Amino acid sequence: MHRYFALAAPIVLIAGVALSHPGQSIPIGPGPGLAQASGAIVTAAPRPESLKFAVVGDAGDGGQAQYDVGRQMWASWGGFPFEFVIALGDNMYGRQEPQDFVTKFEKPYQPLLDAGVRFFGALGNHDKQENRFYPGFNMGGERFYTFVRQHVRFVVLDTNLMDPKQLAWAEDTLRRAPEAWKIAYFHHPLYSDGGRHGSDVELRVLLEPIFVRYGVSVVFASHDHVYERIKPQKGITYFVEGSSGLLRKGNLKPSALTAAGFDQDRAFMLIELKGGEMSFRTISRTGTTVDSGVIALRPTT
Amino acid sequence: MTTHALPHPAALTPARYTAGALVHFTIEHFLLLPIGGLLALIWANTRPESYFTLTHTLSFVVNEIGMALFFALITQEIVEELMPGGALHTWRRWTLPAVAAVGGTAGSAFVYLAYVGFKYEPVLTPGWPVAGAIDIAFAYFIVKAIFRRHAAIPFLLLLAIAADAFGVFAVASRHAFVDVRPGGAALMAAAIAMAFAFRQWKVPTFWPYLAICGPLSWWALYVDGFHPAFALVPIVPFLPHAPRSLDVFTDAPHGRHDSPRHFEHVWKYPIQAVLFLFGLVNAGVLLSGYGTGTWALLSAAAIGKPLGILAATGLAVALGLHLPLRLHWRDLVVVALATSGGFTFGLFFATAVFPVGPILAELKIGAVATGIGVPLAFAAARLLHVGRFGHHSHHARAAHTEM
Repeated sequence: MHRYFALAAPIVLIAGVALSHPGQSIPIGPGPGLAQASGAIVTAAPRPESLKFAVVGDAGDGGQAQYDVGRQMWASWGGFPFEFVIALGDNMYGRQEPQDFVTKFEKPYQPLLDAGVRFFGALGNHDKQENRFYPGFNMGGERFYTFVRQHVRFVVLDTNLMDPKQLAWAEDTLRRAPEAWKIAYFHHPLYSDGGRHGSDVELRVLLEPIFVRYGVSVVFASHDHVYERIKPQKGITYFVEGSSGLLRKGNLKPSALTAAGFDQDRAFMLIELKGGEMSFRTISRTGTTVDSGVIALRPTT
Repeated sequence: MTTHALPHPAALTPARYTAGALVHFTIEHFLLLPIGGLLALIWANTRPESYFTLTHTLSFVVNEIGMALFFALITQEIVEELMPGGALHTWRRWTLPAVAAVGGTAGSAFVYLAYVGFKYEPVLTPGWPVAGAIDIAFAYFIVKAIFRRHAAIPFLLLLAIAADAFGVFAVASRHAFVDVRPGGAALMAAAIAMAFAFRQWKVPTFWPYLAICGPLSWWALYVDGFHPAFALVPIVPFLPHAPRSLDVFTDAPHGRHDSPRHFEHVWKYPIQAVLFLFGLVNAGVLLSGYGTGTWALLSAAAIGKPLGILAATGLAVALGLHLPLRLHWRDLVVVALATSGGFTFGLFFATAVFPVGPILAELKIGAVATGIGVPLAFAAARLLHVGRFGHHSHHARAAHTEM
């Protein structure tokens, strides 16, 4: 009997202690107030006093496709002068010596950089952690950081290493943010139907409750080398844009989660926010619009 | 970590015989940890949200508090083996296995880092100590199954203990991810001073050490940015001890080891429960989460580590050290392959090096997959006619059959 007690006691004790401090386990129901994007096709034409930016992910392999996407982004900039680009990680593949920053970043986007367009990077699994110090990625030497443009708060995370310090920072930053629009972006998708990686459920358990609680409306990630828009989950719209340089053709395995997807060519996104609406357009490297729509601001409870 | 105090199933009443025998077998073979790991794998891949919600709730208590007891037990065994009368008392006994452990650690680190460098995933670089981890119990049971009683067994145990000791030093610091606060060194000094005082006062039981020095040391490491699961490691050397032989999993120490004042006597079952929870909390990974870290770890553990062990041992022998009596090179190949499995220590080192995220998941899958060491070791033993597959054993069996 002593053995059974000795075996069971720690389990009961540890479970008791843990359950009395439930940590991150916060079951949340569906969020209210999301306007569906379905059918609302827009061209993301420039509007006064709007915030415009572009999105690329898994871009930095220095291949021809990355240069093609860069040219298409520049062509789009003519009619849609976006202020900055968010880069969702794996901004550099392979060797990452000083010369590589030229061939895998500065040259593909040279016209945009010359026009004053800034890139704000997140770290992917192929990025050196030291790349956060590279001025072109505007990370200020931080693995995770935040910035504000007009009425929009961006929270950039390093999902490679989701340590408690970063998690607490993200929660605190979002809780304190007075901006109505809150957008999070990072490398590993919480939801994805990409055949190679798919959803990172462990990260989702950690991050989604925070996003739901503090009013994040949109989340961008990459890692799977396809484009996918996920149906709103608990009120949040999730995008996977991991095909701005590398592509896994035909790797998208649509499921009940999938709202739209594209896995036949490289792509990037154009975003415009004004008032309570965010319009988006996903463009292939040949200039074809493969997805578009409008997302309404998710009210903060 | 001995099982000497377990009542034999035959001593139980018939009605409880089956359950008693099952518990006896499970505990004797350290199966609670793999059972927890198997449950975790099934749960994580069928109901991942509920699994990860639970594990994030439990992980701190299990990994950073509960595991302190496990490392205390391991430390106590090593300390007792190093005492006069203990199996490791003379340096001659452990020099060659320690050299082999250096080789294994270096070999696994080299292959791991080369693979990660080849695949250009530098974020994985800090994970090299995970590749050098050896699950002591896991390796022991493989070698025991192949050799039964043989010089290979103490050699393997010494090698594994030394390799994991290197790993502990490598993963103890977590300065990259935690805030360091002042006062840790003073707290640790107080904890050790108090343990020293208890020792001087000849306090006969471990409880004051555990209840007073333990929390002080735990807090010292925690605020200083080191893994608090190692909190009892500097305290245990001051505990009351009794020397032991090396065969830590099967020997039958008596006297002070059986005393309720002895740490091992009181904690051996609760620690098995902690190990069950450790397997449950840490081994659950989505199998789709494999990646470069998985392959790097697997190749380092199954190729780099055995080659490193053999190369370092060969070098040491060339420089004048001697292999233990009756341990031949063919035996050593099998022992080296048996060290591939990192399971418990691999999982622990991985959680110590990396916080939650896909990088950790890749390494966890790799740590679980190092179970490939079992068939590798058995295949090598069969090919090389070693241990139970040896000519001697074969002839002995044949003679027995003819009789």
